[in-house]
Amino acid sequence: MKKIIIASLVLVMALAPLAWAKKSFPSRNITAVVVWGAGGGTDTCVRIITAEMQKFMDVNINVINKTGGVAGSVGMSHAYSQKHDGYTLCGLSESNVTAGVQGGWDKKFDVWDTFIVGGSPDLISVTADAPYQTIQELIEAAKKNPKSIKAAASGAGSIHHLNLLAVENGSGAQFHFIPYKGSAPSQNAAMTGEVTVVVTSLAEQQQLLRGGKLRALGMLIPDSFEVADLGTIPSAFDAYPGLSKYLPISQAIGFAVPADVPREAKDVLVDTFNKAMATDKVKTWAKENYYLLSGKTGAESKAVFDALESNFAWTLWELGAATVSPETLGIPKP
Amino acid sequence: MILLERIGSFFTILLGLASEPLNLAILFGSVVMGILFGAMPGLTSTLGVALLTALTYGMDTSLAMICLLAIYVGGTYGGSYAAILINIPGTAAAAATAMDGYPLACKGEGGRAIGLTTTASAIGTIISMLFVVSISPLISRFALQFTSFEFFLLAFFGILISGTLTSPDLVIKGWIAGLLGLFLACIGRDLLQFYPRFTYGIPDLESGIEVVPVLIGAFGIPQIIGVIKDRFQIGKTQKLQRILPEIGTVLKNIPAIIRSALTGVGIGAVPGIGEDIAGWVSYGTAKNTSKHPETFGKGEIQGVIASETANNACVGGAMIPLLNLGIPGSPPAAMLLGALMLHGVTPGPMITFEHPNFILEVAAILLLASMAMWVAGMLLAKQVVKVLRIPTQVFMPVIAMLCVIGSYSLGLNIFNLYLMLPVGIICYFLTTMGYPIAPLVIGVILGPMADENLRRALMVSEGSFLPVFQRPVSLILFLIIVWTIASQLPWFKRKLSAIKKAVFKQSL
Repeated sequence: MKKIIIASLVLVMALAPLAWAKKSFPSRNITAVVVWGAGGGTDTCVRIITAEMQKFMDVNINVINKTGGVAGSVGMSHAYSQKHDGYTLCGLSESNVTAGVQGGWDKKFDVWDTFIVGGSPDLISVTADAPYQTIQELIEAAKKNPKSIKAAASGAGSIHHLNLLAVENGSGAQFHFIPYKGSAPSQNAAMTGEVTVVVTSLAEQQQLLRGGKLRALGMLIPDSFEVADLGTIPSAFDAYPGLSKYLPISQAIGFAVPADVPREAKDVLVDTFNKAMATDKVKTWAKENYYLLSGKTGAESKAVFDALESNFAWTLWELGAATVSPETLGIPKP
Repeated sequence: MILLERIGSFFTILLGLASEPLNLAILFGSVVMGILFGAMPGLTSTLGVALLTALTYGMDTSLAMICLLAIYVGGTYGGSYAAILINIPGTAAAAATAMDGYPLACKGEGGRAIGLTTTASAIGTIISMLFVVSISPLISRFALQFTSFEFFLLAFFGILISGTLTSPDLVIKGWIAGLLGLFLACIGRDLLQFYPRFTYGIPDLESGIEVVPVLIGAFGIPQIIGVIKDRFQIGKTQKLQRILPEIGTVLKNIPAIIRSALTGVGIGAVPGIGEDIAGWVSYGTAKNTSKHPETFGKGEIQGVIASETANNACVGGAMIPLLNLGIPGSPPAAMLLGALMLHGVTPGPMITFEHPNFILEVAAILLLASMAMWVAGMLLAKQVVKVLRIPTQVFMPVIAMLCVIGSYSLGLNIFNLYLMLPVGIICYFLTTMGYPIAPLVIGVILGPMADENLRRALMVSEGSFLPVFQRPVSLILFLIIVWTIASQLPWFKRKLSAIKKAVFKQSL
């Protein structure tokens, strides 16, 4: 046993300078810190993209999960406290932009440079036995009797709740909002008949839609969406153009590095990210999982996250669910 | 006819899986790892499944399922080791097992207890597997009877029943401990409106109190303090016993095993609650229907069998809504859902069309996993009992270390250690005053469910409690709760015995 240990130590010491000698990025393994739990949407997405990215590098990208805190603040603080050299990526999603106003950490989100893989678009659906066949019927019924139709989405201030609020603002209808702990419980509530309307992402709903347990009324994005054995789900924008003022508020899942990471490292990351996004593996995965791929980096993705941050932060502040005013963090109003 | 066809293809799949040596190697490896995870305080089957999910990324779907289900089954069973031998349940699911398991170990019958729980766990898993194959759509429909009111009542009942069952003297002490746990569960951001409660501006409290450090602190620390204080050695009285189950005892308990397994399947099928409640409810039923309830809590083998059978039967139960509706029936099942999605399988109503044999495959894997668990358990049990022969001076510091590591390993968060220690010390004093600890932990586990669902139920009904009486399941739950509370009131007890006497006289 001892001999093996000594031998491997010698080997490591002999090889170490070789690894250091190669100066260009990346010369050693990269760690991706995912701030949400293993097996979740963000985790899956980051694992897929990094697995493809490492094929274009000579090093591995190891994915770890560091959850907890407020809106993933523990994992973000951890990733941000590492050396800003591009060897630590932070796997995150749009929900993390609320960490600031919720007192999880004291920074504006633009300390990160983000790489957006994509996300599954939200849609509005009703239970199979509901009388509403189209989005117009639902909205008009809700307008006639404000707050009479029960609508489920995950907890106050979540992305699906924001989508529901945007539908209300853009169409003038008012629903009786019932919050749930996540998308699965809210869809479950629709099936038990506790609520009539449910807003979640297509990836989360597709099984129930195709099984005929829920009826899709409209996509909350500008375009219609083709779903296998279901046909085309029209965009809710067609009937209510006013929605375009508030929507889309889309998932943005991907990873980030601190904004002050050296140019050279960032360029390599952008390059391999673009290559990975173009692979068939990622494309097939997105199609199978009802994801819309984005591939935005740099200034483009910054614009997306700035908009998300301002929307989330001010909505939470208005709901009284934020502890830190968005103003003190310098987040502009949407 | 269709049933026969299903059984036929079930065995084809089973043989197909079992004839692959790699599958068997992974199966046994994962079961043993699961047992170790379960046995170690703080490492739960949820964590085990979570860690392995990442490793299975490169495997094909059925191999990944073998790996994950085996660790789930093993982890649920493994919790009983620590519960029986050192009175620190390895997982919350085994908390009810400690009630009678530890007294048995103190009597020197630890080996016998483990032998019997191994067999009972395996039978429980197999019975639940039968349900997965045969009538899972029916059970899914039952699960859909649960709306917010039912979830609240069920969670409240879970806390109440564990309080009732664990109190050494006054039942009200158990309820007080349960309410303490319920209070701890209120700390942090509420899940509906995201409002911070009792956080005093401390960021670490925002996400609420974690269950694992409370579990370890509450069970582990009082045990360590107690053993050190009394210089007590459990192992001295340990006799070497046959671990192989006494067929006679198993046969005698078959009705109890089947009843416990049904309880486990039913509770597992209800979304959101899992092995921990199943163990308690089954233990409670066993105690209430027993001819000699006074022996429970003092080393009654039936108590151990009841809770262990039910928590393992829960595994299969939890798979039913997961596979048919895409709703995880328990926390580890939620991890499994994530793992399945990673492999491109989205469980739900469409699964029978998209992956026609998948449910049968899961059932076959469950059967294999329970058999592997039985074999591994039989081999391990004898060795594990030897742990108790280690001198206390060496053993307890090791347990203390494991407690610290277990609390920290969850999210690698140092705050959990600051939480574990005071909780443990408070619980030590509670124990010395005769307050049971288990209801406190169950309160922390089920508290968020009770709190969230009650408030949501009132949102849905716009402040009315009427739906409780209008829905059949909630009415039944409500009546059971009223009965549980009332049966402890002195005047009710007197009335009851008076009625009993009157009825008795009449029938004479």
